[in-house]
Amino acid sequence: MKNSGQEEFIKTIKTALGTSRAASGRKADLFAGDISAESRAILERIQNRSAADHKKLLDTLIEAAGPINLEVIACDDTGAVTTAIAALVREKDPEWGEQKGVVAWAHPLIERLNLPAALAEQNVPVFVTGLKKSTDEDIRQRIVDAFIGVTSADFCMADTATLVMRTRPGHARSVSLVPAIHIAVIKLDQMIADLKELYALLKWDPHERQEGLTNCLTFISGPSKTADIEATMVHGAHGPREVHLFVIITHD
Amino acid sequence: MCKITSENYVAEARKAIKNPILQKALADLQNRFGRGTAECYRRLPEGPDLRIKAHKTRMDAIENLDVVLETLADNVRKNGGHVFFAKDSQAAVKYCLEVARQHQVKRVVNGKSMVSEEIGLNEALMGAGIEVSETDLGEYIIQLAGETPSHIIAPAIHKTRRDVGRLFADHLDIPFENDPPKLTWIARKALRQKFLAADMGTSGCNIACAETGHITTVSNEGNIRMSATLPKVHVAFMGMERVAATLEDHDILLRLLCRGAAAQNMATYVSYIGGPRQADQADGPQAFHLVILDNGRSRILSDPEFREILCCIRCAACLNVCPVYAKIGGHSYGYVYTGPVGAVVTPLLVGINRAKDLCLGETLCGACQEACAVNIDLPRMLMVLRKKLAQGDPTWGVIPVDRTEKRIWQAWSWIIRNRSVYDLALRLMALGQKLLPQRNGMIRRLPPPVNGWTQTRDLRPLAAESFIRRWNRK
Repeated sequence: MKNSGQEEFIKTIKTALGTSRAASGRKADLFAGDISAESRAILERIQNRSAADHKKLLDTLIEAAGPINLEVIACDDTGAVTTAIAALVREKDPEWGEQKGVVAWAHPLIERLNLPAALAEQNVPVFVTGLKKSTDEDIRQRIVDAFIGVTSADFCMADTATLVMRTRPGHARSVSLVPAIHIAVIKLDQMIADLKELYALLKWDPHERQEGLTNCLTFISGPSKTADIEATMVHGAHGPREVHLFVIITHD
Repeated sequence: MCKITSENYVAEARKAIKNPILQKALADLQNRFGRGTAECYRRLPEGPDLRIKAHKTRMDAIENLDVVLETLADNVRKNGGHVFFAKDSQAAVKYCLEVARQHQVKRVVNGKSMVSEEIGLNEALMGAGIEVSETDLGEYIIQLAGETPSHIIAPAIHKTRRDVGRLFADHLDIPFENDPPKLTWIARKALRQKFLAADMGTSGCNIACAETGHITTVSNEGNIRMSATLPKVHVAFMGMERVAATLEDHDILLRLLCRGAAAQNMATYVSYIGGPRQADQADGPQAFHLVILDNGRSRILSDPEFREILCCIRCAACLNVCPVYAKIGGHSYGYVYTGPVGAVVTPLLVGINRAKDLCLGETLCGACQEACAVNIDLPRMLMVLRKKLAQGDPTWGVIPVDRTEKRIWQAWSWIIRNRSVYDLALRLMALGQKLLPQRNGMIRRLPPPVNGWTQTRDLRPLAAESFIRRWNRK
């Protein structure tokens, strides 16, 4: 607080506003403590969603993913995802070096894919970003050297084809950012409709609100892009050039 | 401080109009984004009227800005971030330099930010011997060219692929190339090295959320995410008005921002940053600083006639529909903020007299308000500025621009209130106009002091006989 300039700054604002109402009253009005009927209805809608509803959201996702060049692949089980990822690893060339390397989140769903074993026959190492023995510098170097990063996500908003990721131990942020190709794997029931639903969950759902937004919440909608040179759309400005999203339809 | 050249508006506008490459780029931009944005608003589940709701939401936050900012600062600090309130650009720059010194920063990557441009951050950092790289592709191009942005969202629209190719060839020591994808990947490679080597990342803030204590940054390229993830320190700058109270408000504003800025339903990357990395997290900055900037905004806040401009979320939708911007481009405005929003906010920030041509140059057609993501009544404020310029205003220190104009109107007002004088004046003018140079039945030049009117247009002559005389004759 000391020397932050806050006191004088806020005083200037108060003078400029010239309001007579006390700050506490205005604060109570702005930040209502109770859930609105609308938010309650949204939470109920999310809770009561059937598998068929989730499939409908998947259709919306696929439709929204097209124009932003996000590849969405629906798979029946983790085995199919592993096979598809192995094929991608074989087919794609590394962007920055000769060696192919993969980094992946330490995440239960990603661990079930068993990528280290599946990629061993191609001699492609898989580095998991949650190993206790590795230092932060080591993790960073592995991510920089990797050509593919594999993550999961907390949610996927169908309406805008947006992956939503909170930051946690083992879930390094740069895995979805620094490698040239980003692969995300989620389960069908992680689909939600839109931003309104996400905010309602993060703010009001008793379970989700404990963690809240975390210190870094990230939305990713497709691969990195720019149109800064003569308005020509180009993918791969700074972030990944390709994003592949696998949605696992049945639990196994 | 960023260099202000708003005095040169007319000369710069003339240059821009004669530049065919710029004219084409501007027309293409407006065709793409102007129409796209309108279509995006129509397809909103709530319809285009969501903009009206957004306006109310913004005004509520602005009119309680003291409370909202204190809540934001408290929540950022709870998460381990630092918050600094800067009354002007000097204070903001000084704070950032101090942070850089503490962390022994040698290289900075800047994720696109209008506020860092406004306070002249890059120059100050470079003056302290620190290397600064702009990382938004458009900003990188104009940094290499030593220019300033000409559009809020598309800073380098005035550059052709050949211009960019030549710049890259000169600065990056590579063969000339003019294919946009290849040029983009050349910049990708060059900037990747900058991101990996940087020890400080700077960014702006699109819309902070007070109740959660996060700033949000929005980009399509991923440069802001890089700048806020890889370096060990992140310093974010926000104009003090760029904050929403709650997530519900944020929902409306973020959706409108993406639509207004680039006719998108959602930008590729949106990051909510609420503090430094935690001890058990592998990456992210070890220190997070948020600098909240006044720099003339509290003065705008104190004037109820202009308070509304603080609702602006800098999406640039108004630039993409403005018929004036479409012709004169961004550089004519001579400041960071261009287009219709610049025509209001620049005079208020740098001096109304100094930037008088900006508000005089606009057409008042109202396209900007229709395109505005938060439905700001820009034409109204342009009119208020014009009124202040005509009559003077002690609060804003405005000196009347043209006393002759005022006297002419006073004389005219006296004439039309006196029937016989009015009739006589009309008859004299009808006679006198025969002496003026004409072409195709139009008057080409008026004599002083009214010659300004015919500088860029011809004038239809008065009828030989007035309507009322013809009426009476019947």
